Amino acid sequence: MIFGKSKLELKVGIFVFIGLAILIFFVLSIGNFKIILQSHRIDFLFNFTNGVKVGAPVRFAGVDIGEVKGLYFVSPSPDKPPKVRIIGWVRRDINIPADSAVWINTLGLLGEKYIEIMPGRDYAHIVKANDVLTGVDPIPMQEFTTLAKKIGTGIDSAITGIRDKEGTVGKLLYDDTIYNELEALISDLRRNPWKIFWKTREKPPKSK
Amino acid sequence: MIESMLINVGRKVLAFLQFLGGLATLVWQSFYWLFVPPLKTRRVLEQAKRAGYDSLPIVSLIGLFIGMIFAFQTAYLMQRLGSEIYIASIVALSLVRELGPVITSLVVAGRVGAAITAEIGSMQVTEQIDALEAMGSNPVKYLVVPRLLALSLMLPILTLYADIIGIFGGWLICVYKLGIPSRLYMSVAFEALKFKDIFTGLSKTVFFGMIIAFVSCFEGFNVEGGAEGVGRATTRSVVWSFILIIAADCFFTALFYFIFP
Repeated sequence: MIFGKSKLELKVGIFVFIGLAILIFFVLSIGNFKIILQSHRIDFLFNFTNGVKVGAPVRFAGVDIGEVKGLYFVSPSPDKPPKVRIIGWVRRDINIPADSAVWINTLGLLGEKYIEIMPGRDYAHIVKANDVLTGVDPIPMQEFTTLAKKIGTGIDSAITGIRDKEGTVGKLLYDDTIYNELEALISDLRRNPWKIFWKTREKPPKSK
Repeated sequence: MIESMLINVGRKVLAFLQFLGGLATLVWQSFYWLFVPPLKTRRVLEQAKRAGYDSLPIVSLIGLFIGMIFAFQTAYLMQRLGSEIYIASIVALSLVRELGPVITSLVVAGRVGAAITAEIGSMQVTEQIDALEAMGSNPVKYLVVPRLLALSLMLPILTLYADIIGIFGGWLICVYKLGIPSRLYMSVAFEALKFKDIFTGLSKTVFFGMIIAFVSCFEGFNVEGGAEGVGRATTRSVVWSFILIIAADCFFTALFYFIFP
């Protein structure tokens, strides 16, 4: 039984109700929200982080299971270099073995950094909330460049040597003496195949 | 010649200042009367039905089309880059953060704001507003406050509808035209959204609703001349609402950019 007055209220009521339902749907399906509800904190310790940012994904065996919530420096003692402690929020239902390897990886072409956890084998010891995993430091870009430069210099000097007709390879490529000799030998052999079997008559050692 | 030009410029500037001053006075009076009881919920509900419930079909339709268009337009570039899957996140992000709020507000400004100006304008022309005052009820309390409340409360909800329907429009294109799996689209779209995206998108619309209510009521109260004046005021109301909504959007986007980096 809907009369004029309550019909208006009903219409507005339905409108608002469905709108709020959409809002709740939005809030619940946002990845962020779900992660915070069902996750716990695990820290990672690195000497070098290669530019990981807050919000970077944490992956376990290649699957997104959480994200980085914060980064700060820790100094174990005044004479040692400071380390970086990464605060990660990770899904609670994932069992991470304590001997898992952790490193920082690069995602795609754009170079977004993320934390990769490679599952270990020791399922008897599972990482608990607020535990710390020590990471394998990523190789700084600088070291890559230095190595590449070294390799490049080596290849370059070898090629220059060959081009300057130095060494065996250089002579083989640029000096045609060997080629001419070989050709003369082969054509000679063709004409006189018996030469293969021809044995120079060695002078028998003088028997005394 | 120069003198008349200068006079013209001066007149325009003065008219603009007068507009701003009048608008500010109306804003002040409305907020004052908003907190003076009694508040007639019945009148608010009536306006809420007009602004929200009745605008839903056109907002949904436009939301659907915007979502579809956006999916197609991003597909143009994303297919060249070979990353079609990011269409979902681009559609979801741009709808929730920007297009949903602004398009909904512009539609409501054109649909509801124009109607408010025409209604109050013809009341002004036929001296009904003077009659209201003579009967002892304040026209701001009686006419502006319910519209202000209704518009600023209904616009966020309408925006939510536009967002979800726009994402659905993008889903239609991605699943049936570009061959992206349905579940993948949904997970990528909602993965990209953060709580702050929804919050900033919705909080803007509260202010857009206020802008629509204030501008259209103000123009309605200031109608001069007969039916022709009502027409002129309606046009002016829609134009000013559009300009102020876009300007406010620019301001809020910059503000939220610095508040929520």
